[in-house]
Amino acid sequence: MKRMGFKELLFILPAIVIIAFFSLWPIMKVINYSFFDYQLNDQQKSELSLDEKFNVDLFNENADYVAMFIDMNRDSFPEDAQGKVDEVVADVNELKMLLADKSGLIELSGGLKKQIGEQYAKLESEAGYFVSSYDFPDRENLKLVMEDMGKCFVRSNFIGLQGYYNAIKDERVRTALGNTVVFTFVSVAFELLLGMGLALIMNKAMRGQGLVRAVSLIPWAIPTTVAALMWSYLYDGSSGIVAHILQTLHIVRDSKDLLLSGGGAMASAIIADVWKTTPYMALLLLAGFQTIPAVVYESAKIDGSGTFNTFFKITLPLLKPSILVALLMRTLDAFRVFDLIYVLTGGGPGGSTETMSIYAYKTMFQQTNFGYGSIVVILMVVFVALIAAFYIKVLGANVMERD
Amino acid sequence: MGKNSNRFRTMVSVLISLYLVVIVFPFVWVMSASFKPTQEIFGEGAFSIVSRNPTLENYVNVLQNGILQAMLNSFIVAGLTAVYVVLVATLASYAISRFKFRGKNLLLGVILAVSMFPQMIIVGPIYNLFMKLNLTNSYFVVLPYSTITLPVAVFILVTHFNKIPMALEESATIDGATSLQTLFRIIFPLAAPGIFTTAIIVFIAAWNEFLLTVTLNTNKSYHTVPVAISFLRTQFTILWGDVAASTVIVTIPTLIVVLLFQKQIVAGLISGAVKE
Repeated sequence: MKRMGFKELLFILPAIVIIAFFSLWPIMKVINYSFFDYQLNDQQKSELSLDEKFNVDLFNENADYVAMFIDMNRDSFPEDAQGKVDEVVADVNELKMLLADKSGLIELSGGLKKQIGEQYAKLESEAGYFVSSYDFPDRENLKLVMEDMGKCFVRSNFIGLQGYYNAIKDERVRTALGNTVVFTFVSVAFELLLGMGLALIMNKAMRGQGLVRAVSLIPWAIPTTVAALMWSYLYDGSSGIVAHILQTLHIVRDSKDLLLSGGGAMASAIIADVWKTTPYMALLLLAGFQTIPAVVYESAKIDGSGTFNTFFKITLPLLKPSILVALLMRTLDAFRVFDLIYVLTGGGPGGSTETMSIYAYKTMFQQTNFGYGSIVVILMVVFVALIAAFYIKVLGANVMERD
Repeated sequence: MGKNSNRFRTMVSVLISLYLVVIVFPFVWVMSASFKPTQEIFGEGAFSIVSRNPTLENYVNVLQNGILQAMLNSFIVAGLTAVYVVLVATLASYAISRFKFRGKNLLLGVILAVSMFPQMIIVGPIYNLFMKLNLTNSYFVVLPYSTITLPVAVFILVTHFNKIPMALEESATIDGATSLQTLFRIIFPLAAPGIFTTAIIVFIAAWNEFLLTVTLNTNKSYHTVPVAISFLRTQFTILWGDVAASTVIVTIPTLIVVLLFQKQIVAGLISGAVKE
């Protein structure tokens, strides 16, 4: 192995740039989003702002009216309040001077923030005094203008860990997590058992290996949405053949229950997933079987080992590394399931098949709440990491060394 | 003994046939539905496999509905992705397989972690970025496709490069070849089967991608096959005839790829332990 010089660095540079830009940078962004109340369709929250902002135009527009409504009604106020009228006008002028060279939405920070904050509080209390103490023609107008002026402070939408706290207490997150776990566990368990059985059978089959392999690849190779759509036709309550067969066999009471009841919809999604990925699992395991040298089996036979004994004492332990890697990949895939459920049930009925991915997607792109959606995704990542750690540390899956 | 093994063989054949039927059945059923007129799909003929009045009207419908445009888009994005991802991954995998450098394990770890992350995590920021740069509804969607394809490509290729003996390059270097020359003249030809396998796997993965296209390319003229197909389901009334005909049409390219390249695909699956 050679040490790498500058020229060799160029080999990995494109990959690093692409990964950094399209994988790592978005992940950092998502973490950043999760600390904000970030909602695209809400003007005050559609950007991440750590600092308080001040809407100069809105202030200028309203401040003039505040001064005007009080100054114009001078005659309605008693002698001792006249000084206060001048003060309000002076306050407005002072604030406008502070903001003289500014316009639009500005960030308030440091000394300016303090000055404007104090001056504004003074103006608000003095003008408020007139509204609450005296009756004059423009009293209602002044009230409205002051209310509008109050909106010129755009508060920071930084919420820290509040979003995470909300997510942990969110019933819907818990339901989604539960659904995801059920879907993952049941479908992966079936895929492993059926895949293992199939691999054993394929290994013994003398003829048609090529045909079996080609047919096995098709469900894996077609787009998940196509498979989901195909199955949604087979499951259809009135014209779906699978729904019809299940009803005839009395497995479901009414063929319409299949996609319209919670349990039925979840079972349907699992069956479609098992159909799509069991062949893939079988092919991976078959490849594992074929790496075990025939000599091992021959010597086991000579030593008088029975079929079951050979399977559990020789085949399984030798196959363990391939099984674990295949299982890890499948578990993570099932945990992230999106396309299948999005097309088949859309998360319904009544949220009974809503997985974490579906919930995150709906939060981000249907409610345009990127802040909360990001939190749901991050929770998913935490579970993905836990699953991976479990397989690698506890079960000893070796994902770095292949072959 | 002979009788026993005969019975065993029969049992294996029966089970294999059963398996093939279960896998193929949905396709056969959907194909038969694609030739049924609407009244048969919803009415009496819904559960019979042969149509009484076979028709091509469903195919005519969907062909007028832009399914061919979707297939063209899929070819373009899958082709572009396969080309640039394989190129980038080949260079990186060669370096990982052949050179010693600091942070190599970190790089591998990051690639592995990226392959494990839910794809959903990049969609929000990428959506914002594409909106800001005005890249939505374009073929630029292939750039974020790297997240799902690059890790797999690197894993398959590193495995393949590791199998090529080092001695070949050493003698090339002695003869005065540069790193790039060694890669393109010596390694590339030897690694060609592995690179081809990788290209097919990446092509299929990109062909099947759904989430990024459905969020970034909302305009119908940029929909790929998976997205165009998903919109058939969300319509108010589902026209199963159209659904069946579209399914048959879009499955044909996949079928051809699988039949032609099944050996390479299986090899790729095993060395990359690829995602769906």
